[in-house]
Amino acid sequence: MNAKALQILHLFPRLLELNGESGNVEILRLRSEWRGLPVEVTTYDGGSTDGFDDADLVFIGSGPVSAELIAHPLVTAIAPALRELAADGRPFLAVGAGFQLLGQTVTLENGDVLEGAGVFPVTTRHGGTRVVGDFVVESPRLGPVVGFENRGSFVDVGPHTTLGRVVYGRGNTETPGEEGFWEDNLLGTHMHGPILANNPGLADSLLDTARARRGLAYVDAAPESLHAIDERARQARGTIAATPLSE
Amino acid sequence: MAPRLSTARTAAAVLVGRAVRVAARLRGGGSAIPGNIALKIDPGFLERTIARIPDGVVAVSGSNGKSTTTNMLAAIMRRHGLKVFTNPSGGNLPQGIASALLSEVSTGGRLDSDIAILEVDEGYGTKLAELLKPRTVLLLNIQIDQLNRYHEPDRVAAMLGRVAASSTEGLILNREDNFLVDLDTRIPGRPGRAVSFFGGVPSLVEPAGHGVASADRFEESAAAPGSRPATVEVIALDGPRATLSIELPGQDARTEITVKLPSRGLHYALDAAGAAATALSVLGDRFRPELVTEALDTLETVYGRGELLVVDGEQIEIIMMKNPASLQLNLDSLESAPEQVFLAVDEGTPDPSWIYDIDFSALDHVDGITGSKAWQFAVRFGYLGIPVGEVELDVRRALKAFLALPAPATGHKVMILNYEQMMLIRKILGFKELEGGGVA
Ligand SMILES: [Zn+2]
Repeated sequence: MNAKALQILHLFPRLLELNGESGNVEILRLRSEWRGLPVEVTTYDGGSTDGFDDADLVFIGSGPVSAELIAHPLVTAIAPALRELAADGRPFLAVGAGFQLLGQTVTLENGDVLEGAGVFPVTTRHGGTRVVGDFVVESPRLGPVVGFENRGSFVDVGPHTTLGRVVYGRGNTETPGEEGFWEDNLLGTHMHGPILANNPGLADSLLDTARARRGLAYVDAAPESLHAIDERARQARGTIAATPLSE
Repeated sequence: MAPRLSTARTAAAVLVGRAVRVAARLRGGGSAIPGNIALKIDPGFLERTIARIPDGVVAVSGSNGKSTTTNMLAAIMRRHGLKVFTNPSGGNLPQGIASALLSEVSTGGRLDSDIAILEVDEGYGTKLAELLKPRTVLLLNIQIDQLNRYHEPDRVAAMLGRVAASSTEGLILNREDNFLVDLDTRIPGRPGRAVSFFGGVPSLVEPAGHGVASADRFEESAAAPGSRPATVEVIALDGPRATLSIELPGQDARTEITVKLPSRGLHYALDAAGAAATALSVLGDRFRPELVTEALDTLETVYGRGELLVVDGEQIEIIMMKNPASLQLNLDSLESAPEQVFLAVDEGTPDPSWIYDIDFSALDHVDGITGSKAWQFAVRFGYLGIPVGEVELDVRRALKAFLALPAPATGHKVMILNYEQMMLIRKILGFKELEGGGVA
């Protein structure tokens, strides 16, 4: 392990990786490396949690229900280690099924209840109409956050802060209102796929939280390569937000 | 319903449907409309007409390669002397099949065909299986492209399982597919149903770049991909030709034939193996391996894949981006990075998130990107360090700029297009539309 590198822990990339979600990890890595801060990515598919304590940033992706059921006992087995990382301020990005499993409970369509890892203070209920389509959220911190929504579940985040208000799409609840969970170092959402591609501000926020904890600095905080990509991402958000579509 | 009423209704459905079909063609419009109207006038039209076909229905389904394989299988059957009814590429929903029927039936609803070979959309597979009652079902693969429409590969697998379960005489499965390799053990058995497999030798399948790009499967499976004995096996590939090894009933030694493919690529060879295995399953003793070679030799390139358009004397190779698997396989089959590349993707591809799972190393730059998803691709190429010439959301302007580039030394330009953009660009360039044209 390179002590000067930022450490990203990618949980269950084999089981939970739906529609290009590992792109999030690649984007986090490149955005840091192009600014002169090296990154090491560790993937975890099961087994010993030795080395978890080195993680500066944790990512977990989504998957079909079949994969979520298989991942459940594996997540339960590492729940104490994950709660420790979260309590210690390491940023988490959790998407879809991964977000659900890191919550408190997941109630399946047949009524069975899965105990979650308890990292996020949220509960999930599967069922209802599935919503599939463009997703536009207004984040108080970042402005428009834009992507794709594909979910057949509802999330109860209680009194906690969310990623933002739903502008197009459904979000956490049956009546469109708010999307996801974003408090302190914990970000969970059902905006699936490479959410950080259209929303580099989210990526930078996660990286900043991770760097601040470790006292790691960039060499060049605003390289030209990122400037060009961020302009493209702004155009991508604008195109989707201008004429969002769903099934 | 009284038979007389039913006959009158069929006639009305056929006549009105045909009139609409002619009108739709004149307008250059969609192919499904006439079938839709015919089905409204006579909901039983499709089911009844199909039920009268003497040798019944062969249904071809799966995520990728349906059109190619249906086309191959129809050609093989025709070469064996059968009169074949088939649906044109893409017309694989009930309305599309009804539209195809309209052009071939008599007003009384009779079809002069021995057998129907029908490409079936996996999403409508269950409904179509009830309507069509296929004797034989050929399933090609389950790939991740269907996530937008059906959300989860397991669900697609369950739908295809129901289609498979409807087969009464033959079920032909791709043994290289994670979900299909043991599908026969997961559906109710049926006396008289023969199950057979097709596949490729490990030396071809394993190193095939992104392989056969089958969706990941997480539940327990009864068999590993590749582990079932195949009646037709791809044993060699040489450019756009493949050698198939066929196990003929009652013969100790396998028979080898060489066949022509639509283009380079293992996926085409597997399609050919699937078509041959299905022909063998249907025809039994009547099957002649040499007729497979003859049939595939004469087959025209399937619309839209590896197709060459000629615009102002310049050749343009079209790569269809139907889904991640087909795009990956087509990128992998490029011999070198194309000198001039144009990409057009619109909302026909609602969520291009999967471009983060694609290996784009076959490209060293992209000259122009257009369509409403253009900026999302531009971001992806940015992170890959693949230079992008111009992003222009206006398709006509983007196309004009690309065509104005000087003729490349390699002889042809390359366009990577989703289906909707392919149709639009063909129209802009003045080519006839697929609708109403059909294949073979
Ligand atoms: Zn070029």
